[in-house]
Amino acid sequence: MAKQYDVLFRLLLIGDSGVGKTCLLCRFTDNEFHPSHISTIGVDFKMKTIDVDGIKVRIQIWDTAGQERYQTITKQYYRRAQGIFLVYDITSERSYQHIMKWASDVDEYAPDGVQKILIGNKADEEHKRQVGKHQGMKLAEEYGMDFYETSACTNYNIKESFTRLTELVLMAHRKELDGLRLASNDELNLAELEEDGRKADGTANSKSCWC
Amino acid sequence: MFSDVSRSDLPLGMTDVERSVLQEQLIDMILYVLHAHPELHYYQGFHDVAVTLLLTVGLRLGTAMLQTLSTHHLRDFMDPTMERTRSVLSYLMPLIQSECPALHDFLLRSEVGCIFALSWLITWYGHVLSDFHQVLRLYDFFLASHPLMPVYCAAQMVLMREREVLQCDCDMASVHQLLSRIPSNFPYETLISRTHSFFQRRPPSQLERQTSLQRLKSISAASFRSLQISSAQQRPDSVLRQQVAPPSDVLPARSPNTLVKLAVWGISASLGAAALAVTQTALEWGPDLLLGLF
Repeated sequence: MAKQYDVLFRLLLIGDSGVGKTCLLCRFTDNEFHPSHISTIGVDFKMKTIDVDGIKVRIQIWDTAGQERYQTITKQYYRRAQGIFLVYDITSERSYQHIMKWASDVDEYAPDGVQKILIGNKADEEHKRQVGKHQGMKLAEEYGMDFYETSACTNYNIKESFTRLTELVLMAHRKELDGLRLASNDELNLAELEEDGRKADGTANSKSCWC
Repeated sequence: MFSDVSRSDLPLGMTDVERSVLQEQLIDMILYVLHAHPELHYYQGFHDVAVTLLLTVGLRLGTAMLQTLSTHHLRDFMDPTMERTRSVLSYLMPLIQSECPALHDFLLRSEVGCIFALSWLITWYGHVLSDFHQVLRLYDFFLASHPLMPVYCAAQMVLMREREVLQCDCDMASVHQLLSRIPSNFPYETLISRTHSFFQRRPPSQLERQTSLQRLKSISAASFRSLQISSAQQRPDSVLRQQVAPPSDVLPARSPNTLVKLAVWGISASLGAAALAVTQTALEWGPDLLLGLF
């Protein structure tokens, strides 16, 4: 069977309810946009294979519910992620303020070395803007993240931001990947390799896990 | 809540006016229930239940039904946190195990968890099924059943897809994706009759004895007996009496919008709507009789 991809890893979308996480994902994977997307309950995911510097990367993107009460569930998915999008809505000051809380959850629950990108979505709704572009850039700088303003509606910066996070994850795992490539010609499942590593460390998931 | 309502899954083909009238009614319904019961907390998915009731039986009866469901069948999902919801979900795997240990082992190995079934339980499948007739059929069933019936239904649904699941790659993503997408041609009548006999074969009390899981007690299950008793003692004309004397002044009186009503009746199958109304009326005065029918 022909090799379909070289490496697989998981990205995660988090942010307040209604900032457009599902819309970003649908635009990226299916090139579709539905302005009134129904709310996400629990978690869902989509897959896409992209080419980064000649490497076929299969990305599994997990989309989470934004409502606060669902966070006990969605936090359980953080530990499996290699890359995380923190999303706010440029027309909602509140969603921007909450990025601080989302970032601290990432620090607490995601693995060390997870790659992060800050996204200010709904950039097409300039007339309703409450968060300036410089505010987004400043916050991203504070956290040492890359920053993109995007619009799922007009397909602005969608491919760019997903590709950028994928590149960051690839770079972070370059050494491991190069080592493994020498050892085997088989497809690499970075996600599983990491998990095996974790199990070997004896820090496997707790029994009370939801997922 | 407002943003959930504004992007809720209303039927296609409505004009903007019809849509905005329905959305306003939906907000009225939800606020009425939350106002009347400050101990209840809104969850994303609650609006799916509300919209199904609104489209089927209208604002007044829909609000009354939503209120009763909130304090009974859906009560576990309306705590400030999701711990009790988690307890209800935790019945799922033991139920699957009791019928098919091989499938249960496969699901455990895949680490898929139970989150694929979360929206099934808390919206009574209203969030995931696109065919409104199927939603109404399941609502009829759940209205006439024990509050834990949706978990049995979820387990039965997974059991009926056993072959498909076992052929799937044994990893979390593949199994989650397979299970969370319900085939459009799923045999609902078979599902309902099997779920019903499954419940009788392994009632919750038996399951609790068998499994040693630490759970929060289900308020919905605990209050079901008293709901049955109080319903059984109601006079058959209680619905009519309530309609003559409005129960409260908080519920906003709205002039009926003929256009919307027509649209709604055109969309919701009259058969399903009638069945739901009959079920509800019957449930008011004779749940035991109705349970006997299933």
